[in-house]
Amino acid sequence: MSDATVNDAAKTTESTTSEPLGETYLDKFPAEAKVVRSALYSSFLALALGGLFGVIQTLHRTDFLRIMESETYYTVLTAHGVFLVIAFTIFFLVGVFTWAVTTSLDREVEDIRFTWAWLGTMTAGAAMAAAAILAGFTDSLDMSADVLFTFYAPMQAHPLFYLGLTVFVVGTWMAGADWFRSWFAWKKENPGERIPLPTFMVLTTMIMWYVATLGVATAILAFLLPWSLGLIDSVNPTLTRTLFWFFGHPVVYFWLMPAYMMWYVLLPKLSGGKLFSDPLARVVFVLFLLLSTPVGIHHQYLDPGISEGFKFIAMTNTMFLLLPSLLTAFTVVASMEHGARQRGGTGRIGWLKALPWRDPVFAGMALAGLMFAAGGFSGMINAGMNINYLVHNTLWVPGHFHLTVGTAVALTFMAASYWFIPQLTGKKLWNRPVALVQVVLWFVGMTFMANAMHRAGLLGMPRRTAEPQYDGFEYEAGVGSVAELDAQIALGGIILTLSLVLFFAVIIGTVLGSRSDEVPANGYADTLSGPEDSPKILDNLKLWFGLAVVLVIIAYTFPLLSIIERGGLFGPDITAFPQSIDIVSMAWLTVEQYATDTFTSATEVAQATIDGVLR
Amino acid sequence: MSSATEQNQADQGAGGPQLDHPVREIGHDEYDPIGTLTLIMLYFLLLAFLWVFMYFVEFLGNDPTVIGWIGTGVGMA
Amino acid sequence: MRISTEGLLIVLAFTVVLVVELRTVLAWFNLELTVFESLMFSVALIVAIVVWALFPQDGSRDTDASGSS
Ligand code: HEM
Ligand SMILES: [Cu+2]
Repeated sequence: MSDATVNDAAKTTESTTSEPLGETYLDKFPAEAKVVRSALYSSFLALALGGLFGVIQTLHRTDFLRIMESETYYTVLTAHGVFLVIAFTIFFLVGVFTWAVTTSLDREVEDIRFTWAWLGTMTAGAAMAAAAILAGFTDSLDMSADVLFTFYAPMQAHPLFYLGLTVFVVGTWMAGADWFRSWFAWKKENPGERIPLPTFMVLTTMIMWYVATLGVATAILAFLLPWSLGLIDSVNPTLTRTLFWFFGHPVVYFWLMPAYMMWYVLLPKLSGGKLFSDPLARVVFVLFLLLSTPVGIHHQYLDPGISEGFKFIAMTNTMFLLLPSLLTAFTVVASMEHGARQRGGTGRIGWLKALPWRDPVFAGMALAGLMFAAGGFSGMINAGMNINYLVHNTLWVPGHFHLTVGTAVALTFMAASYWFIPQLTGKKLWNRPVALVQVVLWFVGMTFMANAMHRAGLLGMPRRTAEPQYDGFEYEAGVGSVAELDAQIALGGIILTLSLVLFFAVIIGTVLGSRSDEVPANGYADTLSGPEDSPKILDNLKLWFGLAVVLVIIAYTFPLLSIIERGGLFGPDITAFPQSIDIVSMAWLTVEQYATDTFTSATEVAQATIDGVLR
Repeated sequence: MSSATEQNQADQGAGGPQLDHPVREIGHDEYDPIGTLTLIMLYFLLLAFLWVFMYFVEFLGNDPTVIGWIGTGVGMA
Repeated sequence: MRISTEGLLIVLAFTVVLVVELRTVLAWFNLELTVFESLMFSVALIVAIVVWALFPQDGSRDTDASGSS
């Protein structure tokens, strides 16, 4: 990158009078832009709340600052998990998907009222679930949902929580229907044409989502909700867990695929090049559709009651998932390199300098992708059955997924926001340097936090606890000390929070700004090798849907049958937590029991003494 | 409306200003992603190194688990 | 300046990754740095990079910057 000249050029470009740059999304689709904007604002609200809880729990568990009782920790952790990985990610992606479908089919949604209806449904569901979670902070309401985002039985939430999640998911189903409807209408007018790549990505992702959500829908509607309403007495925890993870792994791809979409359709353009290969991109999305559901059991390597054989099959399927991941790495990097070389980059490594690092949208996504490569390694560790035993349920696992969903996805979304918000508001991004500092800070903060989390996990420090250290037990620290790891985690958490503050400053600054005609035109990257080079069969969505279902049936029928056979549909009469009996009377019972026991043993001693004396 | 990439637009809001004029146009056939190959090889080397590292963490740092000393696995003991 | 401010920022971000990971890697070779030592090392490294970046490129504005790094 050649410095001084470039800097001068920057100044002159910025000061030249701006010529119109073409149509923004707002110009072209004003009604849709409003919907997408609302979806993004909802997601930002979730991000703000989730981030706040994130730093609270970080400082709590590392014992630097405790503003709550440890008993409240699960309320905070549930809010952090649900707000970030359910609300933030999904609200954002429905916005992006709406943008992708309308832009690439070049048509408005079929009925904007329906579009608002699904967004409204999702919002109502999210609000219900959020109310149930946040109610856990006050004792004045007999309501809580401290069940974490996995809601494993026997932890039990207020029915409102399960209902809210259901309504939310129904909203996403409606959204998918909306996009399919657009596609059907488009297909009628454009018979025989290839599905435009962004729409193709949306549709394959949504098919995966429909298949996957059947798992949670069953878990919630057939078991957890009736159980929390008191209609049934008990559930089979292994069964509801398995149904959860039936959904839980594909949901990972539900977060990732929109991020991939940004990398495939925006990043090459920002780098000044073209997408390397449209066919490869299609293959990747089809592979994710096929492979992401029949692997869920890899989250249950340590669950008793599922035989090793099923776990082994899940592991094998998981390893196949490496293929589309590596294809993505190749395609995305090759597209960036194409851009860099068109911009004059040279050399084997030197071309990296020709990339537009000063652009926060590009830099954010590129850094996110880089962290994802690191997350890929810890993911491979998680995926291996025997090595997983070493890190299961330790802090290693949050370390891993803060690199994936917490950075690859979250940072890509934040960077993408710097592109989308101007598109959706017609306003110029407020302060690009601050935006650049923001994405870099996220990268640095996550380096500190994730590195220490991984290392702490290797020492066996558990996740999901307010008190990782307690009397009478010491971790055998490998490199460094536990205190030092804690400090590093807290430092990372604080830098991340700072980064979030800057993010909101830039977004709010942009939204409050005035309309500008310097916003770039809406659009996405061209391809070096286009859809004409890809086999037609790739666009046969019915075929892929059918295959995905078959694979799921093969992977899940026997595990589910054997779980039900072993534990029954409703399980071995488990006791829900929290119990409805209140704590005070419980405590009283315990004291009473204790007293009786002492008394009994005292009489026994006395009796024995008397016996001895009398003898 | 899949906009072409001959960008002069991406920069103002997004891309760097130096993007104004792509220095050259590289088509499908002239493009040789040698840099990508380099990076991917580096990544594979790193992965291989980390796998070895993992072996030490898992099997030597702690007591052997699951399969025992590697020698037994390869018939050396 | 040898590289742009933005470029410097990115390079520094990568430096953080390097120093954070280096400590673990070095420990593997029985070279255990204390937090203080690795902190000093990183400060020195960062100062060196900043000085390198800010140092004027012998006056000339020759655009062939690919010799650096
Ligand atoms: C300010 C930034 C963040 C900080 C400081 C932070 C911190 C943490 C910490 C320390 C934990 C582990 C708590 C424990 O297991 O005891 C955690 C868990 C988690 N984080 Fe974050 N995080 C941040 C951002 C994010 C983002 C952006 C996402 C996803 C988009 C995310 C998703 C999660 C999830 C899913 C969990 C697991 C919750 C559970 O175990 O139920 N975090 N976070
Ligand atoms: Cu998974």
